[in-house]
Amino acid sequence: MPLRNLFRRPTATTVRRRILPVLATAAVTALALTACSAPTNAPRGPEFFDWSDVQVAADGQTVKLWMWGGDDQGNAYVDDVLAPAAAAQGVTLERVPIADTKDALNRVFTELQAGRNTDGAVDLVWINGDNFRTGKQADAWFCEWTDLLPNMTAVSATDPLLTEDFGTSVDGCEAPWHKAQFSFVYNSANVENPPTTIEGILDWAEANPGRFTYPAAPDFTGSAFLRSVLYSESGGYENVPSTFSDEAFDELSPALFDRLEALAPSLWREGSTYPTTSEQLTKLFADGEIDMMMTYGPATLTALVENGTLPDTTRVLTVEDGTLGNASFFGIPSNSGNIAGAMVVANEALSVTQQVAKADPAVWGQFTVLDLDALSAADRELFDALPQSPVVPSFDVLSRNANPELSAEWVPALDDAWRTRIAAGQ
Amino acid sequence: MTAALTRPVRPRRRHLRAALLVLPAVIPVAFVVIGGVGTTLLQSLGLMPLVGSAELSTAAFNDSDELLTSALLSLSIAVVSTAIAAVIGFFTAVLIISGNWGGRIVGALGAAAVTVPHLVGAATVGLLLSDSGVLARLFGVAPDAWPALVAGPTWFAVIAEYAWKESAFIALIIVGTLATRITSYDETAAVLGAHRFARLRLVLFPLAAPSLLVASAIAFAYTLGSYEVAWMLGQTYPEPLSVMALRLFNSASLTARPEAAAIGVITVVLTAVVVAAAMLGLRRMRAWR
Repeated sequence: MPLRNLFRRPTATTVRRRILPVLATAAVTALALTACSAPTNAPRGPEFFDWSDVQVAADGQTVKLWMWGGDDQGNAYVDDVLAPAAAAQGVTLERVPIADTKDALNRVFTELQAGRNTDGAVDLVWINGDNFRTGKQADAWFCEWTDLLPNMTAVSATDPLLTEDFGTSVDGCEAPWHKAQFSFVYNSANVENPPTTIEGILDWAEANPGRFTYPAAPDFTGSAFLRSVLYSESGGYENVPSTFSDEAFDELSPALFDRLEALAPSLWREGSTYPTTSEQLTKLFADGEIDMMMTYGPATLTALVENGTLPDTTRVLTVEDGTLGNASFFGIPSNSGNIAGAMVVANEALSVTQQVAKADPAVWGQFTVLDLDALSAADRELFDALPQSPVVPSFDVLSRNANPELSAEWVPALDDAWRTRIAAGQ
Repeated sequence: MTAALTRPVRPRRRHLRAALLVLPAVIPVAFVVIGGVGTTLLQSLGLMPLVGSAELSTAAFNDSDELLTSALLSLSIAVVSTAIAAVIGFFTAVLIISGNWGGRIVGALGAAAVTVPHLVGAATVGLLLSDSGVLARLFGVAPDAWPALVAGPTWFAVIAEYAWKESAFIALIIVGTLATRITSYDETAAVLGAHRFARLRLVLFPLAAPSLLVASAIAFAYTLGSYEVAWMLGQTYPEPLSVMALRLFNSASLTARPEAAAIGVITVVLTAVVVAAAMLGLRRMRAWR
């Protein structure tokens, strides 16, 4: 009897055999999944002794900078000014535009979960606030690297805006890039006597139904508006403890939400819906549907007025009780394969040449993080010589009485409460 | 003897060869489906936390009120837009098959609509229908007098976008299955004296029904799972499941990820139920048998 006869099986097995490949695949998949589930130890990244060490390692690396792509001027600055400067030092800088910074963070988390520890897709992220904190909690950042950057000497070591990021200690896990000031923007053609306080803005909104709104939290801008009103309703930022606690939240947040609840019927569309993003808010303002809006990036306003997106009569409001200020940073994920190259880019971005170019309203208009008093007279001259914007006041005017940001734990707490109390109307 | 021996072996070999041939297709699909759904399930049950230790828990499914509202909203949007798309898609297909030049133009438009990504479609619909959009300006209506089509309580813009895109998809699928065999049946019926409506009801519709059902099931599954259109054109509250899942997945608090995964699981179950019902319906169809 030939051997193959032994393989004769009843028909039922043929059916079973057809699903065999499927079962095999399932087994392989399951195996692969167990192999790469949640790593307990995040990678720490390479160690460098000095800056020349970094430069040697960086030569020839390609750095993928993941950054919010919704700002044309910012994109152009990175592509046309920062990237060539990095290329001169042997580092290729590639910009990866993303819709939300959280996309970059999620990419890193997913890679870490999958065990991709040394060659992640993200080398550098433009980041701050709760995203930074979340990444730090998950051990996703490469840390203690900013001291190595030669250009960090021009950055004040005691500036609270740069040593703490929304109450989270920076600890050398991110290098400063620029400062921002939360600003209220109005159309001076329609607002004759602009208010000068946050409370005044809310009163103005109630006196002019349908002409004001704010983006729905958790949008970055909408969320900053909630914190601004929280400060205002609590009688100033001094009365809101920066560190989050349930007691402070329960004590202070009701006043905020009562005020916003009372305000809602006077908002655009009677508060039945809110713009999803700050871009949608800007569009409402540009279309003349509202007369007042807000932004954490006043830098972009000058160009938007110049290119006709916003009316010529657009002005930034001077708020007497001050507005929120923050800084944004460069973070390097711990699983990046081009850490040295990313450090070279972050260092270059802190050079006087780059900071001056970036501060020019015609380029990007972002406020510098350098300590102007620590610069040489010649370097300071470069900043003084920058053209003034007709729309946005200078940083020292804008940041007068600046309010510090709350610790990052406040952000999701306020966002979630806003959704249940104001958006859902419960 | 040899002949008697080889005969039973042949089907087995054919099965083996068939299995080997589909393997390159089955492995990646299985990897993605089993891997993706498996990971989502593990995350939703708290077994794959980003921080802390893994612990089996159904806490992510607990907020039942909000989940129910969102699920009903998602289902309503998907059902309404799929139903509109199915009706428009069927009649568009009939028009395309008619072969006159009007049908050809509609066919070209339909094919073009399928290539437009939903995100671009949503932006376009937004520009067209919003308060100060193209239509409002065209008719000279002030923004506050224009109905709240975008981000309004009726979800009009969202449904319109899905219905437009998916009707083109459904139409092309139906045209693909009908094109080869419709003429002879249709002409036979016409010769036998069937009028237009009778031919539509008794010939075209039964022949198109299986592909109409399958295409609608695909459109429904897509509509239920996709987020970008509802996110761009929808209201702040309540949110469809997909938008809520995305918001929670992107949330700054790491603990929200299991909740996002839980919504993913619920969406998969809902889709699976509807697709299974559609497949059962398909088997009962005469044209399929």
